Amino acid sequence: MGFSAYPPPDHLLGDMGMDAELTTEESGAVRTRVTPFVTTADGGVRAGVLATLVDIVGGAIAARVLRPDWLATADLAIQRTGPVLGPWVEARGSVVRRGRTTLVIEALVVSVDDDGEEIEVDGGPAGPVAWASMTFAVLPARNPASSIQMAGDLPVRWSFEGGSLDGPILDALPVEVLDGPAGRVSVPVRPYLHNSFSAIQGGAIALVAEAAAAEALGASVGGDASSVVVTDLQIAYLSLGRVGPVVTSTRVLSTGPDGHGSAVVELRDTGADDRLMTVVNAVGAPADPGPGARS
Amino acid sequence: MTTGEIDEGLGREAGREADGADRRHHVSEYLRLARWEVPSDAEEGPPVVLGRAPVDDHLRGAGGGMRTGGLLTNLDSLGGFTSGLAVLPQWIVTTSLLATVSDLRHVGPLRFRVDVVRRGRSSVVTALDVVDEGADDRHVAAATMTCAVLDPGAMVLEFDRPVAVGMPPPQPGAVVPEEFFCIEPGEGPVTRLRLADELRNPWGILHGGAVAMLADEAACRAAAAVPGAGGPAGVAAADAVLHYLRPVKVGPVEARCTVLGTRSGRTTVRVAIHDVGAEGRMTTLGTVTVLAV
Repeated sequence: MGFSAYPPPDHLLGDMGMDAELTTEESGAVRTRVTPFVTTADGGVRAGVLATLVDIVGGAIAARVLRPDWLATADLAIQRTGPVLGPWVEARGSVVRRGRTTLVIEALVVSVDDDGEEIEVDGGPAGPVAWASMTFAVLPARNPASSIQMAGDLPVRWSFEGGSLDGPILDALPVEVLDGPAGRVSVPVRPYLHNSFSAIQGGAIALVAEAAAAEALGASVGGDASSVVVTDLQIAYLSLGRVGPVVTSTRVLSTGPDGHGSAVVELRDTGADDRLMTVVNAVGAPADPGPGARS
Repeated sequence: MTTGEIDEGLGREAGREADGADRRHHVSEYLRLARWEVPSDAEEGPPVVLGRAPVDDHLRGAGGGMRTGGLLTNLDSLGGFTSGLAVLPQWIVTTSLLATVSDLRHVGPLRFRVDVVRRGRSSVVTALDVVDEGADDRHVAAATMTCAVLDPGAMVLEFDRPVAVGMPPPQPGAVVPEEFFCIEPGEGPVTRLRLADELRNPWGILHGGAVAMLADEAACRAAAAVPGAGGPAGVAAADAVLHYLRPVKVGPVEARCTVLGTRSGRTTVRVAIHDVGAEGRMTTLGTVTVLAV
């Protein structure tokens, strides 16, 4: 399978510099380098970046499994479970179930070295960085054609090549904070963020939701977005964001005495009658360096 | 997938067994869930459903409030019911439930609200919100639930609209959830449930609430078995991600857990539920976050 026309040369995925591989008909992996531009205050990788990784690996697997039909991400859940211990993080996905109308994929994110080998601790594999699951809706082949081309033989490897991030990833989108305590942020819909349907890509949506949740949860504990690390995202994709700008609203559900909090973020396409695009449940933790800190 | 919500949603004739027993309300009567339909904010809009359930003592867990398995059961019932109303005369099966639990201490009763946020040709998505009436409407949980639309076949789906089902009375001598849902005693990473007939819904498959409670109990046992965790009395389930893959038809049912990691007193447990009697096929996959309490 090769991604001959997607993403275009100037694209977020290219700037993230991801390497991808489909190993079997129902499994694959995508990895990205851990840089300060994609990490949080505790040294871990942003949940939105991890969500982007797993969305890409899940989408690649789904595209192959479902061909000639196509797909749309219906929901995605990701939870950070352990520290990042290597120079790369790799999302390893596999099919859990293929149904007539949906496909469910599970992904484990692990730390790997420059050779792609999983980092070991005390002679065994280090614990996972994150766990994720996704549901893809099956779109019959007569639906909008994709720019993604299929190839036959496995394994197949490819890279999302482009420039590179020269600053924090939220600045690359760019995310504009309209009202931090209200978790209200905005992002334009532009080709740099497009998916193959020319709408804002699912990983970018996760990043925007993460930013909004961090703003609101940080304010709720008397700090700012940097005082909270979003660890969990539960994302329900409802409609495509084609026009923009996409604007969030956030409702903080709780902030506990241990500093953990949760929030619900809604994303709307303000250029399309304020249509509700996505609902995200987010969990945040204090950003203090601790067990989650990168070694 | 689960059709547990169908127990609560089917019309007057559906769900009645040949012996005259009506299993539609077995689970909701145990949880004493009231539910009623209110007009949509939008003209011709999809239904909005509200619910209310007390936090009876036998339903309380180590966190002090309703066990998350019970909370998820109510969410599954109400979300499925609302989605079903939105697609009549078709019906639905739940395919995924994503829930974040913001507070484990509940006074009760809990109040639920369900809104349809997407109604497509093949699926319905609802957003669910839970507050604690006894604690000044403090937030308890938020969830999104996706259901696939299906042909109900021979099932008769008749409702008096707007639908209103009152709160069932207290059940003297009500047992704890593990006993009610036939979860076998045990500890460690594998937990079993006996598929008793009363846990089957009108379509003969395991009620979604039983799946949710099994996930809760199994994840807690797995987390409690981690050295230093403090045992089962010191943990409680909170957030959950559940993908309902296939119905449970045969049983017994086995939840196989893997502890993925612990951060700041929060343990993430992967839960894979298998129908042992159906060649061990996986029926549900997800995670449960278990908190030290």
